[in-house]
Amino acid sequence: MTDLLLHFLLFIIAGSVLVLAPMLIGKLVRPWLPTPEKQSVYECGEPAIGSSYIQFDIRFYVVALLFIIFDVEVAFFFPWATVYGGATQLADSRLSDVARSNLSDKLLNLAPGTSAASDTVVSAADALYLAKTGVVDIAVFFAFILVGFAYVWKRGDLDWVRSLVSEFQQSQALTRTAVVADQPAKTEMAS
Amino acid sequence: MISPVFMKTLLGTTIAEELPGLVETLRGNFLLGWLPSLDESGASLVAAIIHVTLVGLFFGLPAFAFIWAERKVAGRIQDRLGPTRVGGRFGWLQSLADGIKLIQKEDLAPNAADRWLFQLAPYLVVVAAFSAFMFVPFSDGWTAMAMDIGLFIALAVLSLEVLGIVLAGYSSGSKWSLFGGMREAAQMVSYEVPLGITAVIPVVVAGSMNLNEIVTLQSGGLQNWILFHDPFCFIAFFVFFTVTLASNKRAPFDLAEAESELVGGFHTEYSGMRWSFFFLAEYAAMFFVSMLAAILFLGGWWTGIPAIDSAVVAVGEGSPAWAYLTRVIGMTILLGKAGLLVFVQIWIRWTLPRLRIDQVMATCLKYLVPISCALFLGVVLWPLVLLMTLGQSTILGEPKGERLPVSDRKVVSVEQPATAPAEPVPATEGGAH
Repeated sequence: MTDLLLHFLLFIIAGSVLVLAPMLIGKLVRPWLPTPEKQSVYECGEPAIGSSYIQFDIRFYVVALLFIIFDVEVAFFFPWATVYGGATQLADSRLSDVARSNLSDKLLNLAPGTSAASDTVVSAADALYLAKTGVVDIAVFFAFILVGFAYVWKRGDLDWVRSLVSEFQQSQALTRTAVVADQPAKTEMAS
Repeated sequence: MISPVFMKTLLGTTIAEELPGLVETLRGNFLLGWLPSLDESGASLVAAIIHVTLVGLFFGLPAFAFIWAERKVAGRIQDRLGPTRVGGRFGWLQSLADGIKLIQKEDLAPNAADRWLFQLAPYLVVVAAFSAFMFVPFSDGWTAMAMDIGLFIALAVLSLEVLGIVLAGYSSGSKWSLFGGMREAAQMVSYEVPLGITAVIPVVVAGSMNLNEIVTLQSGGLQNWILFHDPFCFIAFFVFFTVTLASNKRAPFDLAEAESELVGGFHTEYSGMRWSFFFLAEYAAMFFVSMLAAILFLGGWWTGIPAIDSAVVAVGEGSPAWAYLTRVIGMTILLGKAGLLVFVQIWIRWTLPRLRIDQVMATCLKYLVPISCALFLGVVLWPLVLLMTLGQSTILGEPKGERLPVSDRKVVSVEQPATAPAEPVPATEGGAH
């Protein structure tokens, strides 16, 4: 794996040089005439009001949590999918003997040619059984996240303009002339 | 004079296997004995430098070409001519002229900005987009790092790009930039989910995360392309393409820059060359995801016409020089497919209006995520249903396993825990049942 590390290091260096070199060349030819106007942040031509390092409502808090769960789950899909793909390919009874022993080596992580020499060739029936087991595994695994996803959806956490929507629905239920725009948007976070 | 051994090293996936030959070549005729003490690590360093240079070309040049293409296509779609002057006909050197102009522009950073982070952000973006190309096979075996987890790690590295965007938005000290950066973060965390799920779908079909192997499995005609493997894969390609549009913040999902509402979004405060690196990285990432889509779904370097493909393979078996030639042909085909997809991305940008931010989020969370989940379940059940009814795993063509390459597979041994992520699960899973 040191080869990978070496590549990463070199790519990081090369990528940085790719940015740094034009910047350094540019230093020789570009002007440097700072004025207070140039160095202020752009706010539609008006003097900027206040700092931008402020607290504000991060709407996607729940979405970010959902992302972490989903992405961890999907990360586990990848190794599962390699095994399942190999199993379904092996379960095909039309497969030639050469391809079958080759796939068996791959599925069982044996050195190439091992299955052809010994009796570790996976039969179509065994592979089908493995595939069925795999489907049950992933169905249970996937069901957990889908139930959670349905719950989050039902709770309304996936709505970007959540507080306004609920306010609007409430106000419609109470009176037909509710003025939503006059009320400040409640920025409640899911706790 | 480049020796065949060295040529093969340039071509081959498995640099490590060719190391003795490479060392000999370097000692012998290539560096004329300048490096007499070149050991294995020295040789792999030389190989890595060659990789960086070659991949760097494929990072920079397409980006330049696509920036020009974007302007030209945009012009034509809007009934204008686009660039016409620089470089003779069609203004094909426009990107270079832009670069020369941008180098001379003043490099501004607002006083309110966090200067270090502000200047760091373009580096992060470029390095992430560049490093992702490390794992992509440009043609059969032409990849800097051939890995069994190629697809997984490529997506992981590419998604680091968002850090640079968020950093740029946060450190600028401008409210527009902050909004842009936060929108990008929201968009990325939601679009990563369908991206991951639709990227699993070809893995389920191919039974491999090795990008080279995934393409090899798609040889022998259109019916073997993963796109046409089953109806779910067919839809999955379009979902994947849509999601990659969003994860590259391309219109209609370019909420992070949204020049009509956020001035420039995350790059409002950037100027000159530093500004342009965000776009270099964006176009490189567009090219990258298009290559990935071509590799995963559209048969990679295969034309899809069995006669041509088998003829190319037959020619390549002649000698190293012919093999080199056929790989150049394969690369041209792959780049052609990727270029076509980039063209579609540009076409979409200049055709569809931008969505609103809540629509973007709803598109992902309420449509693309459920759709991709359903597609994933469909792809998983498809071969099983076929096996239990027809007794075969595919409808069209021969079984996928027939085309698995025999030789060039490395075994993950227990003694080397460092390589364990490559394929640890097959061993335990396969052994358990």
